[in-house]
Amino acid sequence: MTTEISRRIPALLAAAALFLAGAWIAVTPVEVLAQDAAEAPDPDARCVKCHSRGLKKKLEDGEVLSLKVDAEAFGTSVHSVIGCTGCHRDVAKGRHPSRQPIESRRSYSFEKNETCRQCHRAKYEAYDGSIHANLVRAGSDKAPLCSDCHSAHAIQRHETYDRDSGEPCSKCHTDIFTAYEESVHGTARREGNRIRADHFESPVCADCHSAHDISAVASTGYLVSTCMSCHEVAELAHEQWLPNAPMHMKSVGCSACHAPDAGLRVDLQLWDQVNQQAVGAEERYAPLRATLAEIGNEEGGISSLDLWKLIRLTKADGENIDVRLRGRLEVATGMDAHRLQDSGQATRTCENCHDGDSVAFDKVTVSITRADGRKERFEADKAVLSSVLSVDSISGFYAPGGTRIKLLDYLLVLAVLGGLAVPVVHVSLGKIIRRKMKVK
Amino acid sequence: MNNREPIHEHIDTKQRIYLHPLPVRIWHWLNALGFVLLILTGLQIRYADIISVISFETSVQLHNWIGFVIIVNWFLWFFYYMTSDKITNYLPDFNARDFIKRYFEQAQYYGYGIFVGEQRPHDVQPYDKFNPMQKLTYQFVMLITVPITFFSGLMMWDVDYFAGLIELAGGIRIVNTVHVIMFVIFVFFVFLHAYMGMLGSKWWSHYKEMFTGYEEPHD
Repeated sequence: MTTEISRRIPALLAAAALFLAGAWIAVTPVEVLAQDAAEAPDPDARCVKCHSRGLKKKLEDGEVLSLKVDAEAFGTSVHSVIGCTGCHRDVAKGRHPSRQPIESRRSYSFEKNETCRQCHRAKYEAYDGSIHANLVRAGSDKAPLCSDCHSAHAIQRHETYDRDSGEPCSKCHTDIFTAYEESVHGTARREGNRIRADHFESPVCADCHSAHDISAVASTGYLVSTCMSCHEVAELAHEQWLPNAPMHMKSVGCSACHAPDAGLRVDLQLWDQVNQQAVGAEERYAPLRATLAEIGNEEGGISSLDLWKLIRLTKADGENIDVRLRGRLEVATGMDAHRLQDSGQATRTCENCHDGDSVAFDKVTVSITRADGRKERFEADKAVLSSVLSVDSISGFYAPGGTRIKLLDYLLVLAVLGGLAVPVVHVSLGKIIRRKMKVK
Repeated sequence: MNNREPIHEHIDTKQRIYLHPLPVRIWHWLNALGFVLLILTGLQIRYADIISVISFETSVQLHNWIGFVIIVNWFLWFFYYMTSDKITNYLPDFNARDFIKRYFEQAQYYGYGIFVGEQRPHDVQPYDKFNPMQKLTYQFVMLITVPITFFSGLMMWDVDYFAGLIELAGGIRIVNTVHVIMFVIFVFFVFLHAYMGMLGSKWWSHYKEMFTGYEEPHD
C-alpha cells in the first residue's frame, strides 16, 4: 500500500500544482498579467538599452562613429516589424560585433547594401544597373549606397517622403534641385502642384529619373522619351510649325530650346554604326579611346584634321567597326537642363541656331562612353563644324547656316566673281579686237 | 518623231523662224523666275548672319514651295520633250570628233568672230536650235544639275522620311554639300546665261525671242 502511495506522489504533486496555478490565475487581475508580459525581455529593447545612449566606436580610418539609434524613429520605421536583428543578424548569433574592427563608415554602409539586397532583390537589381551603382563600382566614395538615400534606421515608406523638398536627391544634387525649383515644373509644384487646370501633377526628381534604375542621362538621351511620356502632343505641336520636326527632336535636346537662358554645346558622340551602340569601354574600342585621349588633351582642343583622322582610323582595313560621330545640340550643364520654362518662353527663333554667328555652336565636345555609363568629353575646336573635312567626319550633323562649310562660301564668291568677270572680260576683249581691226 | 513638221511650216510671212513654242516659253520663264527666287531664298537660308531681308523660317517655306514648283516644271519639260519631235534639240551628237570641232568653232566665234562680224557657225533651226556649246550646257543643267539639286533638296525637306536615302548618300552633310555645289553652279549659270542672251544681233534679240517665240532677223 505504502509502495502504491509513494508511486503516485509525483502525479499528486503535479495535480496539486496545476490546481494552485489555476486558482492563482483565477484570482489574479488581467492588468497584472499584461504588465508582466511587457516587462518580459525584448531583444530590441535590450539593444536600445545601450544604443539609445551615446555609444561611439572609433573606426579604422580614425573617424568616430556614433552608435546611437533613435529608438522612436526606428519604432515608427517600416523595419520596426523585423526588429534590430532583422538586419544585424551577426548579433542574433550571440556574437555582438562591438570588438570587430570597421574600416570606415562608407565600408560599413557598403557591406550593409548586401543586407538590403537579401529582402529587396528587385529594387537592388534596378539600383545595381544604375549610374549610382556604376559609380560605386568605379570607386566613387560619394555615389549613394542604400542607406544614404533611405537612412539606416528611420526608413519610411516612399509615400511619406517630402517630395517637394526633393528628398532624398536634393541632399547631394542641391544645385540641380535649386535650378529645378525655379523651373516651370518647380514653380507649378509650389503653386498648387498643377501646371494647368486639366494637367498632371508636376513632376519631381524620381518622376523623370526613376528611383533606383537611374541612368547616366547624357549618355542615353532617354529623357526625350520621358518628356514625351507626359507631353504627349509635343511631337504633333512641333510638327505644326517646325520644319523637319522629328529630326530636330532627335538632334536637339528638349532643354536646349525650353531652357532659353541655358548655355549650349554640340556634343559629338562616338557611335558604332555596325553594333548600333555608343562607343564604350569594350576592348575593341581601345585604339579609338587611346587616340581620342591623345588628341583630346592637346591645347586648343581637337582639330578638324585630328577628328577626321580619328574617324578614318575606324575605317582602316581589318577593323570590323564603323564609327560615326552623332551630333546633338544640348545644354552645357546638368543644372541648365533643369531650368525648363513654360513653352511660351521657349526659343522659337530659327536664327538662334541657323546663323553663322550663332553662339549655339561655339562650344563643341567629342565624347566617348565610360564604363559607368557617363560620357567622357574632350573639347574640340569649334571649326570642326565648318571644316570641309566634316563632310566625312561629322556626316550626320548639320544645321543650315549655323554650321556651314567655309570652303563652299569661297566657292560661291568665286562663282559670283566669275559670273561677273565673264561679261567684263568678253566686252573688253571685243573692244580690244575692234580697236585692232580699226588700226589695220 | 514620225510626224516631224517640215521647216517651212515654221516660217511665217515675215520669214521669221518659229523657234520656241508656247509651252517651252512658259516653262523657260517659270524656270528662270524659280531659279532666281531659289538662289535668293537659298542665300537668305545660308547667310542669315549677313542677309536679313526675310526671316529664316519664311525663307525656308518659300524655298520649299518654289522648289516643288520647279520640280513639277522639270517634269513638264521632260514629258514635253519626251513626247515631242523637238527632242532632237537635246539629243547628243554621237560623232564626237565632229562635235568637238564644232564646239571649238563656236567658242572661237564667241571669242573672236562675233566681234569682227563673222557669220554664226551654227544655223539655228527649230529641230536643231542649240549650238554645240549650248547643247552641252543645257544637257548638263537639265539632266544632271537640276535633278541632283531637287533630289538633294527633297532629302533635306524631310530628313526623317528620306533617312535611308540620306544614309545611302553618306550623311546629311554630303547631301547638303552636293546641294550647295549645285547652287554655286546655278549662280554661275544664271550670270552666264543672262549675259549670253545678250549676244544676239541686238542685245535684247534673244530675250525678245523667248517672249515671242520667233527668231529675230540677223544683221
